Amino acid sequence: MSFDPTRDYPLGSRRPDLVSTLAGTPLAEVTLEAVRAGRISARDARATPATLRHQAAVASAAGRQPLAESLERAAELALVPDGELLEIYTALRPGRSTSAELESCAARLDGYGAERTAAFVREAVAVYEQRGLLARA
Amino acid sequence: MRSRRFEARERRELNRELLVSPHPELGLVAAAGPRDPEPELLVESGVVLWLDGRAAPDFDVIDRFVVAHGLDLDVAGEAMALDDVALARMLVDVDVPRSELVRLARGLTPAKLARVIGLLDPVELMLALKKLRARRVPGNQAHVTNLKESPALLAADAAEAARRGFAEIETTVGVARYAPLNAISLLIGSQTGRPGVMTQCAVEERRNLELAFRGLVSYAETLSVYGTESVFVDGDDTRWSKAFLGAAYASRGVKVRFTSGTGSEALMGHAQGLSMLYLEADCLAAVRAAGSQGVQNGSISCVALVLSVPGGTRAILGENVLAAWLDLEVASGNDAIASHSEIRKTAKLMGQFLPGTDFVTSGYSVMPRHDNTFGGGNFDADDIDEWVTIQRDWQVDAGIEPVADDEVLRVRETAAR
Repeated sequence: MSFDPTRDYPLGSRRPDLVSTLAGTPLAEVTLEAVRAGRISARDARATPATLRHQAAVASAAGRQPLAESLERAAELALVPDGELLEIYTALRPGRSTSAELESCAARLDGYGAERTAAFVREAVAVYEQRGLLARA
Repeated sequence: MRSRRFEARERRELNRELLVSPHPELGLVAAAGPRDPEPELLVESGVVLWLDGRAAPDFDVIDRFVVAHGLDLDVAGEAMALDDVALARMLVDVDVPRSELVRLARGLTPAKLARVIGLLDPVELMLALKKLRARRVPGNQAHVTNLKESPALLAADAAEAARRGFAEIETTVGVARYAPLNAISLLIGSQTGRPGVMTQCAVEERRNLELAFRGLVSYAETLSVYGTESVFVDGDDTRWSKAFLGAAYASRGVKVRFTSGTGSEALMGHAQGLSMLYLEADCLAAVRAAGSQGVQNGSISCVALVLSVPGGTRAILGENVLAAWLDLEVASGNDAIASHSEIRKTAKLMGQFLPGTDFVTSGYSVMPRHDNTFGGGNFDADDIDEWVTIQRDWQVDAGIEPVADDEVLRVRETAAR
């Protein structure tokens, strides 16, 4: 059955067939027993790019375009390692980075297939340059 | 000679509070400041050339972000052409649906939003808020902390909060490295009281994100935004860094709520002569543009400053309405101490209590005041009976359920063990 973003939210109760872990375990098999038996790890309980894209479609169908875009960025970032996210966030804070350093963050994001988020970082570089929010090289 | 009646009144709690005349040049003006820009939007072939008193080359980081990610130019022409009074009337007209108002708000500039809200009187604001609320039923957030940072006591209080109907529970730490332990205590306690309640631990942004990575929190609302560029930079963030952070939380499955509120810019000394309500409209436009599903606003920790100026209480209700109009879920304040006068504090609360917001308080202390490490708290364990009685008196749902003694003890014990 195809996904209807106007009716299928919340996914967990309306369309559990569309929700699985990163490893492909269906939602119905994510149980306390499975955790106790060691079949489910903490990593398996994380959000997946597919679930986040479904959420983005729900937001978009409800007219919440900025929320949909944020969830699309989240879908791209779901598989980016924790440390990378912390580094890129810190680099985006005011006066922390030169434009070359932020460009390298964007290139790293491109490397993870996070193209929307990379474009978002590049957009920030242009604004930071004009408003004096870059670190002096 | 002095009147003894005047002397007696001077000893009342109200007179511990400072009331000041407006000082617009310092940002100490609730709404309609003399320097607030005229609402204006000039668009040519899909490019914004003029926004609320500024030409494109003069846009600061805040304007640029709202132009790039917030304003919906497909409806802006239609929405900006509407007269302020016509929009204000639509907000209180029961025959104009929420969906239509939310659609129009996407195309309104911050100055226009603030101007329209400024036209409504308190009762009209309440009607608009009831109509625009995003969630079907009102709820509340609880604060759960204790001075000794005892994990068993945190779990017991979290369980009681969940059992009393609180939808979200928030803790913080006295000692930074206890954050994971407090977060786990809250998680265990809350799920014992009622499965599905969401929890967070308010700590510094980077540490907070680490808690999210480890799956120890299910929502975050520490993402603060401010209405002037200089305050934002003082807060060590930009709109792009905050929006990136929002997506980073969401990427780990964590619900994201931003925080803003009237008075923060004036408190930090950079209001640029703009009114509190206008600056909050600027913040809310950015919160929506950043892709947050909701906002904690209602002055929050700056409430005492806002209540010191004329119209402060009304501006706070106005900012709650603005957030709901922008289709944001609203955690509407009433958490930090608003007044030492029980009458004044309760009168302020009614603005959110009677219409019912998504979260009437964004931090009701489930413990007695001395254990609240969020700095006291506006309402606490001792006030629960008053809260449910006022719900009964007015026949409204303000999010807290009465629960009997033995049932409370049962869930507390289960959680602690």
